Amino acid sequence: MKMLNVTINGTVTQVPEGTTIMEAAAQLGIDIPALCYLKDVNEVGACRICVVEVKGARTLQASCVLPVSEGMEIQTESPSVVTARKEILKLILANHPNDCLTCNKAGECKLQEYAYRYDVKFEEHQGARKNLGIDTSNPYIYRDNNKCILCGRCVNMCAKVPERAVLAFGNRGFETTVVADNNKTMGESNCVSCARCISVCPVGALMDSRAMNIARSWELQKEDVKCAVCEHGCDFQLLKRNGKVVAVRALAAGEGRPLCLKGRLTVDLTYNDNPKTPLVKKDGEFVEATWAEVLGLDKILGKI
Amino acid sequence: MVNLTINGKPVQVEDNTTILQAAESLGIEIPTFCYDKRLIGHGACRICVVEVKGARALQTACTVPVAEGMVVETHSPSVIEARKETLKLMIENHPLDCLTCEKSGNCKLQDYCYEYDVKEGGYNGEKKNYPIDDSNPFFTLDRNKCIMCGKCIRVDNELQCTGAINYNERGFDTHVGIPYDRDFEQSTCVSCGNCVSVCPVGALMPKHPEKFRAWEIKRVKTTCPYCGVGCQMELLVKGNKVVGVEPVNVDPNNGLLCVKGKFGYRFIDHPDRLKTPYIRKNGELVEATWDEAYQLIADKILETKEKYGPNSLGGFSSARCTNEENYLFQKLFRAVIGTNNIDHCARL
Repeated sequence: MKMLNVTINGTVTQVPEGTTIMEAAAQLGIDIPALCYLKDVNEVGACRICVVEVKGARTLQASCVLPVSEGMEIQTESPSVVTARKEILKLILANHPNDCLTCNKAGECKLQEYAYRYDVKFEEHQGARKNLGIDTSNPYIYRDNNKCILCGRCVNMCAKVPERAVLAFGNRGFETTVVADNNKTMGESNCVSCARCISVCPVGALMDSRAMNIARSWELQKEDVKCAVCEHGCDFQLLKRNGKVVAVRALAAGEGRPLCLKGRLTVDLTYNDNPKTPLVKKDGEFVEATWAEVLGLDKILGKI
Repeated sequence: MVNLTINGKPVQVEDNTTILQAAESLGIEIPTFCYDKRLIGHGACRICVVEVKGARALQTACTVPVAEGMVVETHSPSVIEARKETLKLMIENHPLDCLTCEKSGNCKLQDYCYEYDVKEGGYNGEKKNYPIDDSNPFFTLDRNKCIMCGKCIRVDNELQCTGAINYNERGFDTHVGIPYDRDFEQSTCVSCGNCVSVCPVGALMPKHPEKFRAWEIKRVKTTCPYCGVGCQMELLVKGNKVVGVEPVNVDPNNGLLCVKGKFGYRFIDHPDRLKTPYIRKNGELVEATWDEAYQLIADKILETKEKYGPNSLGGFSSARCTNEENYLFQKLFRAVIGTNNIDHCARL
């Protein structure tokens, strides 16, 4: 494999050809912020928060998608980079609800993390703001498009699920939003509530309804567990308060066709002493169901 | 003893117990901003109001003593409505700054707004607009974030007894300040930081060069090493670096610290900090081991004692030592070296 010499923030390093600037920086322990980048799923260079200064380049470059070249000299936190990142954050915040006071994502939100890191605050302005309704039609997925930063992670994640691709970008320009099946509600759409979109959303636009309004992220102890429903072994997380499981959520998909509602509910039933009643879609409507029904245990229980 | 019922549960408590304390004994949590068990009851913030059967209005649980046969509801619809309204009035005149506020994650106003689902005031009223007082070298005061709970003032006057701060002006213009609205720097403040430790919101905040969020830190309980009192405190640690100190409300300090304990922690990572003994050799200070250093001290003491007698030596001990260590130190001088020339820095 051909190795390339690059200099990042004055440190010389050698990386294999094809490595992106972000990956090369990570090897040196340099953290470059990223909102849209998600390895193998969303490598689109859309959010621009990862821009870096490359000597000789006409403009700042998106480090998540630009491969390094021989002799490249990179600055990841130079004044022009920091100015650009602040401007990007200002533009995102200009059209984002000032809701950290009660937002369930607070404490785990990438936008909050970077706004704090670069000291960017909400500002009063006369410009337009999104004013979209909150979609609670799906009892498992809470969707607030006003908080969406259009990073596209959920869209590309959903597209990876065979026969789904429920989420897509709709409209153009300022009106762009993530839509479900030609702008239906999540409840009406073909969404199967696998929760993969929730697991990748960097902000509070897509959240697990059943794990909401229980506690702030910083009050919780988190324990990672594997789902045991099938051989894929998807990662789930138990949310504990004072040692007691109060909710669960999907964390990351395993190999194959990963993350599903059945797994989400099974983990809930296995670990949570007080799981909320499951709901199942019948004739296009979500109705309350028994645990045996949603987990497909009716026949077995009948035989027992 | 007094018998009463809280949320349908009967409870027996001692006379003069407050409703809040009685509820605590049942494990019922009532929200509070201005209450602090070390301070005289204040009843100012009104978030602790509860419904008492037969009472004309909602009562502040932190100040009202229990009475025989009292029937109390701590989370009835009217109580929750009142608490929501209190929070709305507070948040109406509070910067919505949780995005980057240093207190976020450790803020009582934020906790209760989340608990009672209050997102904004919604009154479009007047806003405070005070400049931030950062004249004190250890902390800042942002009066725009102050909710007027008065804890800082009462800790300063009742426990620390410095009397540097109090309320200035009246009505909407009421604010925490020093006489004649001067800066902290010009006050009698001794920078003990006890006001900072009790502030439930982000109004009084310690200055620190490191950036950290409340949820990134680990708390490590320890004993303050500065003097023999042994104050209990928690070090706030981010990664492997101490980034702050908070007092612990147990004996002997009961939640108080002095300026050294509260703010004097930066020596820990200071580049100039001495980590090994140095011995002067040929006019140059060179690093030495502790064994070498102790040997040198012992040799010099013996040499001086032999040459000039024990009274040519004197011992000077430190307030950073414990009583036991100071006792051993004077024992060393009196019994081993044989001199009464012994003193202590706290006597100066």
